[in-house]
Amino acid sequence: MLQEWRLRQGIVASLLMGIVTVVGVGFATLGEPLEVGLQAGLFWIALLFGLFPALARGFITEEETGTADLLRVGARPSAVFWGKWLFHATLYCLLSLTVVPLYALMIAPLQGDWLGWLLLWALGGFCLVSVLTLCGALVARTAVRGALLAVLTFPLLLPLLLLLIAGTKAALQAQSIWGALQGILGYALMMSAGAAWVFDRIWRDTM
Amino acid sequence: MWELRCESLGKRFGERWVFRGLNLHLKQGMVLMVRGANGSGKTTLIRLMAGLLAPTEGRIQLLQKGQPVSDRTRWLGWCATDGALYRELTAYEHLHWWATVRGLTHELSAAPESLMRHLTRFELTERAHERVRAYSTGMRQRLRIAIATLGAPPLLLLDEPDAGLDSAGLQLLEQVIYEQRARGIVVFATNRAESERWGDLCLAMGA
Repeated sequence: MLQEWRLRQGIVASLLMGIVTVVGVGFATLGEPLEVGLQAGLFWIALLFGLFPALARGFITEEETGTADLLRVGARPSAVFWGKWLFHATLYCLLSLTVVPLYALMIAPLQGDWLGWLLLWALGGFCLVSVLTLCGALVARTAVRGALLAVLTFPLLLPLLLLLIAGTKAALQAQSIWGALQGILGYALMMSAGAAWVFDRIWRDTM
Repeated sequence: MWELRCESLGKRFGERWVFRGLNLHLKQGMVLMVRGANGSGKTTLIRLMAGLLAPTEGRIQLLQKGQPVSDRTRWLGWCATDGALYRELTAYEHLHWWATVRGLTHELSAAPESLMRHLTRFELTERAHERVRAYSTGMRQRLRIAIATLGAPPLLLLDEPDAGLDSAGLQLLEQVIYEQRARGIVVFATNRAESERWGDLCLAMGA
């Protein structure tokens, strides 16, 4: 975390990506009321676009600088996974602090039940960070990393995004989010159990 | 009493065999020098022993009192030829981090004074709190050796650690190797003919 914090490249790129996404969409739709589904979709797209630069960098940079091997020799795989996850989760919080108020100002105010919003944000963030951390590790040792990251994450992210958008749409319309929340909770449980286990196998999967 | 056994060890990348049929039995107190031209397989052998690569055929075992250990990465120190350092961390932070991931924090070797003494040994005290990106090649190599020897691991794997070292650094490295004899095994890959005298056995790769 100290390395990433001091380098700040990934953090700055993430924040910039998130801000540009929201500001760009905000100006494009200035004065026009957006349909609730679109508001919900844009919310998560802004956060996802903001997360991608840093998440892609994490393990890829470790492989390129040789520190990944040092980690393989020295640390337990679970410690590596959750350490990276913690940094990415911190980034998600930082990104949210910047992007969410900007979104509320430029695109659509966050109406509805605050507890529902908080639950969606927290569980959604947990799942997003887990998926992207895992996929970052998967692609870091391949030659075509950039393309593979996108291809690998799409089928994993799509069901999650659909659930998050459905939940956010319900929150914006002051409807019950429990249905979507159940799906997201199940996804989160699956990720918390499965991600570290899968990571353990791919991290030490020696060629 | 530590032993390292390699039985019918072979490694292939694609269709190309780097080596095969390698048998080694090293006991505590032995220093194995691995020499050979560039591309002869020295680094491959070191990486196999470190568990960073899987053998194509054969096996490697680290034994303690005749019994194979389940995870030999816990018992080894590894020094890479280059890379494997975080540019934004200081030397002291590297040692502290390594002590933490290795679970040495409760031992004397991880106390601040102890870490500074360890850095003093490698003549890095004066710049212990400067970031590695400001270090010279020789200083980085000293730091890699310092990390590899922290906690006195019974198996020390050194991949061309003499590269980039000045005469004082080479003397220090020789001292490190001789000290390691008392507690374990050293496998040392080198291109320098002068370094071969530090070993009890010499393995010529690619011959």
